[in-house]
Amino acid sequence: MILSGQSPPEIFVDGEERDIKIKPNIAGTEVVLLGATPAGKREIIIEVVGPRRNITLQEKRRFLGLWLGLGKINYHNVPSYYNILSSKPLNEISDRETFNKLGLGLENLPLGKAEIINSDLKQSVFDKRLRTEMQNKGQFLENESSIAVRSGPGKVGLFSTEFFLPSNSLQGKYFVRYFTFRDGSFISYTENTIDLKQAGFSRVVWLTANNFPLIYGLLAVILSGLVGWLVSIIFRRLKIS
Amino acid sequence: MEFYLPIAEMSINPAGFLVLGMAVGTLSGIFGVGGGFLMTPLLILLGIPPTIAVASEANHIVGSSLSGTIGHLRRRAVDIRMGNVLLTGGVLGSIVGILIFNSLKEAGFVDLLVTIAYFFFLTIIGLLMLYESLDSMGLLGHKKRSRFYHHSWVMGLPLKVRFRRSGLYISLIPPYLVGFVVGILSAIMGVGGGFIMIPAMIYILRMPTSVVVGTSLYQIIFITSIVTILHATTNQTVDFVLALILLVGGAIGAQLGVRLSNKLKGPALRVALSILVLSVGIVMGLELILEPDQSITILAGGH
Repeated sequence: MILSGQSPPEIFVDGEERDIKIKPNIAGTEVVLLGATPAGKREIIIEVVGPRRNITLQEKRRFLGLWLGLGKINYHNVPSYYNILSSKPLNEISDRETFNKLGLGLENLPLGKAEIINSDLKQSVFDKRLRTEMQNKGQFLENESSIAVRSGPGKVGLFSTEFFLPSNSLQGKYFVRYFTFRDGSFISYTENTIDLKQAGFSRVVWLTANNFPLIYGLLAVILSGLVGWLVSIIFRRLKIS
Repeated sequence: MEFYLPIAEMSINPAGFLVLGMAVGTLSGIFGVGGGFLMTPLLILLGIPPTIAVASEANHIVGSSLSGTIGHLRRRAVDIRMGNVLLTGGVLGSIVGILIFNSLKEAGFVDLLVTIAYFFFLTIIGLLMLYESLDSMGLLGHKKRSRFYHHSWVMGLPLKVRFRRSGLYISLIPPYLVGFVVGILSAIMGVGGGFIMIPAMIYILRMPTSVVVGTSLYQIIFITSIVTILHATTNQTVDFVLALILLVGGAIGAQLGVRLSNKLKGPALRVALSILVLSVGIVMGLELILEPDQSITILAGGH
């Protein structure tokens, strides 16, 4: 897609939107991103931001000598997935100030206004902790130097990269934002979206547990009983032989 | 290899949890206990949120107790009538337990409830077991005697029924009450409750020891099934993937345990178990007192 009003075109990416599915029997899916820029010393940064979700954090405080989870904060618009990919380490592409202006990078990712319950801490304290927790859970990722750039036919540079959407990924739109830089300064931007149409196994389990809790509970009981029964058969056979 | 727990929303190393299942399973095989009272606190100490640990462990016990009951049924070591009476009380108890659990969850105190319950029960049971095993080794200088002998009040209660397999003619009230109390604990702690049920059957109901474990396991299948469904419908905290990993590990462990118990039986082993139970209880208590590594943690996700 060519950004209108810009000439010569600075970045091409494939399609405005495309649909992908995670097959229920696999762990997740690889998504490949391809595009082209004019050849030359260009660096590329790509951000992928997944559908938003609720998250609750608790703050433990000492009360009567015990550490209790007294404070809470409810977020309603936390991206369920974030990935930043780049052609070089970020600090070699440009400086912090530029990234701040562009709203680019994990530190600048908006987490939405949240309601704080029974706590004196500021939201910025919770935000910082939430970013770390999401990184620990592998839902916020930083993949520096993961975009391969090579020269194509004519004066065109081709770039490609891939990232992994795990089986617990939320269905919905994943916004992909492409930024190009030259000599440390930002030169162009475009975006497209990926629509995750079919959820993976873990997500299907989660959705079933939350939307059909009675059926899920019954299935969990039956499955556990079935495995327990099978186990007793297997070990009885083994003992006889 | 990483394994993702869909409800706990975390990646785990399945090998570690299989080994945990095996280790607790081996202990259950040796001592004839379900092992939920060790598994749930260990899961919590490994970072599974308490609400999910409790509900998923109940789900795990459904399978392990079914597997155990089949063996006891073959040996005709289950008093089904007594089991049904116990589980009638247990169903009511588990509903009351879930109500307590959920009202404290609303108030944000459920982690405290679970941790305190474990600290309290594990410490007391650990100490009692330690005392008993040291006593039976003759280290405390007592003569062998039963400390729970005076229960003639049980005999005086109305609504008497005959329990053939146990050879008892007693009132329905004590077994109902025992079932009720264990049902509450099952819902709050994610245990089958054998560690309370078995002593109660022996000392209060005076059932013959040959049918005690089988009957306890039989009613545990139903109680933990109900507890699993209640947690699934009211809290959405049952992680069946976690339950199945523990079940497979536990099944292998239980077989090992049964074989080992023939070679290893002895009071020294009971001392070891009592020290293990006691230490898990104390660690649960320390969790409440010591400053956590991180004071801010993720409590729950959503859509």
